[in-house]
Amino acid sequence: MRNKKVHITIIAIFIAIISVSLYYILTEPIKLGLDLKGGTQIILKPTERGGEVTSEKLKIAMDTIRKRIDRLGMSEPLVTKDLLSNNIVVQLPGEKDPERAKEIVGKTAQLEFRLVTGTFISIKDQNWDIVKFDYEKGQLIIDPDAEEVILIDDINALLNSKPINIIARLVEDPDTGELLLVEPDEESNLEENSEDGDAEESSGADTGINIDPEKVIGKIIYNSETRELLLVSGENEEEVGEILVDSRTGAATLVGHVLITGDELAKAIAGYDNYGKIRVALSFKGEAVDKFSEITTNNIGRNLAIVLDEEIESAPYIRVPITDGSAEITGIESTEEAKNIEIVLQFGKLPVSLKIEESITVGPTLGMDSLTMGLYAGIIGFILIIAFMFFYYRGLGIFSALGLIIYIIIFWGILAGIDAALTLPGIAGIILTIGMAVDANVIIFERIKEEIIKSKSPRIAIGDGFKNAIRTIVDSNVTTLITAAALYRFGTGPIQGFAVTLSLGVVISMVISLLFTRSIIFLMAGIPRMAAPGFLGVRRRSSE
Amino acid sequence: MKFKNYNFNFIGKRKIWFIISLGIIAAGIVGFIIQGGFNLGIDFLGGSLMEVEFERDVDVAEVRSVMNDIGFGNAILQQTESNRFIIRTTPIDIETKNEILDSLNEKIGITGLPLQDRTVAPGFGKQIARNALLAIGISIAGILIYIWIRFEIRFGATAILALVHDVLVTLGVYAILQREINTATIAAILTIIGYSLNDTIVVFDRIRENTPKAGKLGYSKVVNDSVNITLTRSINTTLTTLFPVILLLILGTAALKDFALALTIGIITGTYSSIFFASPVLVAWNNKFPRYKK
Repeated sequence: MRNKKVHITIIAIFIAIISVSLYYILTEPIKLGLDLKGGTQIILKPTERGGEVTSEKLKIAMDTIRKRIDRLGMSEPLVTKDLLSNNIVVQLPGEKDPERAKEIVGKTAQLEFRLVTGTFISIKDQNWDIVKFDYEKGQLIIDPDAEEVILIDDINALLNSKPINIIARLVEDPDTGELLLVEPDEESNLEENSEDGDAEESSGADTGINIDPEKVIGKIIYNSETRELLLVSGENEEEVGEILVDSRTGAATLVGHVLITGDELAKAIAGYDNYGKIRVALSFKGEAVDKFSEITTNNIGRNLAIVLDEEIESAPYIRVPITDGSAEITGIESTEEAKNIEIVLQFGKLPVSLKIEESITVGPTLGMDSLTMGLYAGIIGFILIIAFMFFYYRGLGIFSALGLIIYIIIFWGILAGIDAALTLPGIAGIILTIGMAVDANVIIFERIKEEIIKSKSPRIAIGDGFKNAIRTIVDSNVTTLITAAALYRFGTGPIQGFAVTLSLGVVISMVISLLFTRSIIFLMAGIPRMAAPGFLGVRRRSSE
Repeated sequence: MKFKNYNFNFIGKRKIWFIISLGIIAAGIVGFIIQGGFNLGIDFLGGSLMEVEFERDVDVAEVRSVMNDIGFGNAILQQTESNRFIIRTTPIDIETKNEILDSLNEKIGITGLPLQDRTVAPGFGKQIARNALLAIGISIAGILIYIWIRFEIRFGATAILALVHDVLVTLGVYAILQREINTATIAAILTIIGYSLNDTIVVFDRIRENTPKAGKLGYSKVVNDSVNITLTRSINTTLTTLFPVILLLILGTAALKDFALALTIGIITGTYSSIFFASPVLVAWNNKFPRYKK
């Protein structure tokens, strides 16, 4: 009999597939997703701040992030690009502290050296206060009651009650409403200002009324594209300075052009200076050594701002020329922070600015609970389904049980074989497909019963029942596959995991019921006892 | 032909089923309005969420009073175990987070770092929502085309109507119960779409098979017989699918329960709609065409 041979071949193939699956199950432990074994996931979105986002830039950014994470010594980190957007997804299994990871992963680490022009302060009732700066809105936060806002050369000197110089006044142009930086009048000297309140009042009285065009240094404009608050001058509105925040005082500080960048660093090492203060020692490479030497020689007596990611980390006073190409960042609060700065500087800056869109940390306890509970639900559900199938379809229940066991083995084997990580939605997907896998059996068994009721012989009934069921099973499963495909294509991380398990489940269960179950039922139908209507779950009275 | 097992008059009483379906959906809409919309999770609104484990059993009042003291009276608290709480706030930075954890530790005592800790930037949810809608749109279009090819356009459109019915019912329950809608809920709803269609198509397949007999029996009778003969299958499949899902609803962790709830509602309404909604709609619609009229 040719048919019999075909069925035996099919079963043999399945036994082979089952063996391979078992091999994978036993040799390859199934990988668990972050939500099950615990860990941190961070989603980073490139922002317009760094200019156009190209795939080349993203690749470099991902490489840099990878190097930084490796340096931290985290195990099995995963840095990938989101399928749909330019978002970068960083997965750190086992990492319990999201903050540590955020510090390292998201930092652009754009290091710049720029000369400090001055710091903005506001004067009110003979007291002064620092002027803050809102990065998001690109605005200086000025006390509305302030009498005037001035730019002074050294905030530290002011803090230590040492003499300072007023570099300029900030005035609003009454005609255009633009913020202008204007040179101070000759008489408004600092001694007078700091010691005698009357002088301020007199200078405050004429503020904004008469602006001598000769004395205007420049105007302050906000570049919404780069999100920079700039000082521009001349007709061409050439950029002459930028306002940044000093991370130590929070004060808005005007700095000059970028003189040297972090690209020219040879090394960054966290440690302590001679006085036991925490620092990160920097050293320049090649030509930058000479450049740095030249800068420090020409600007003795000024402060050099060390700017990291648009924030002034420290602004040391240049006392003597530095010719060996070494510099240091001080004012660091903890050794951890110093270590972080070292790491981010060592591997260079990211070519794009990244914003943290989402960070998720799951502790190992919670993940394990989910896994155990999912497993329980699966096992008990499995037993209930089998019991129900035996109760309802009698002998045919054996085939459901067999089919379901094979289904689980092959499913597990494929998950282990393709090295896919099992996630929480994945568990839900598996549990749902266990239920759906039985559906194909139910459809087939119902069709067989119908045919037997039509008083066909069991062999023919089985044949016709299957034939009728195939179309239904294929049509109903294809729609589920279409949904799963859409979920995979447009879903974010965990939803994709769910889509994979769902489609895998649908395909495997379809193949098992249409090939394996069919063949085994056909072979069994040859055994007289097996083909009895009672065994097939049909009560005698309904066949009459 | 003999259909001995069941012979319910599903089609004849279709007006009753339509009223029931519309009633359930209307209840959902009323619930949505009264409750002031959905309870959207931080996935959509942005914010921070921490699940904290305490050293001993605590009640909501105790945690609430600590949160009140540090100015987080409006934080959303959800008890997940006798000694575990999910604390949801607006997006907070590390200092604020540490302040909350320190206060909780001082006043009640916590076991260590949070069991889970999530922060979502506001606006990120837009992307998720957009993708979810895109996924729903694409899958509906794909399914419509598939059913069009395999059946007829009216079968496809009716199947989609049934699917919208199921999604509306599920969302209605979420609005009434004010259960949180998050990414997992969206995945569950998308699954319901697949499942609902699966169910509808099994019934439609039988209708397609029996349609040639319509000339003798009348289209309504053919559809009614088809629904009856697939009834055992519909009930049995629903039961076998519900067993593990309901177990998940009972046993699962908070996240799994969320998922299982949407699936449970969806599976039940999916079965209901294929019997009581999709098939009657098909009859009502096809009756407008002479070929089926009789």
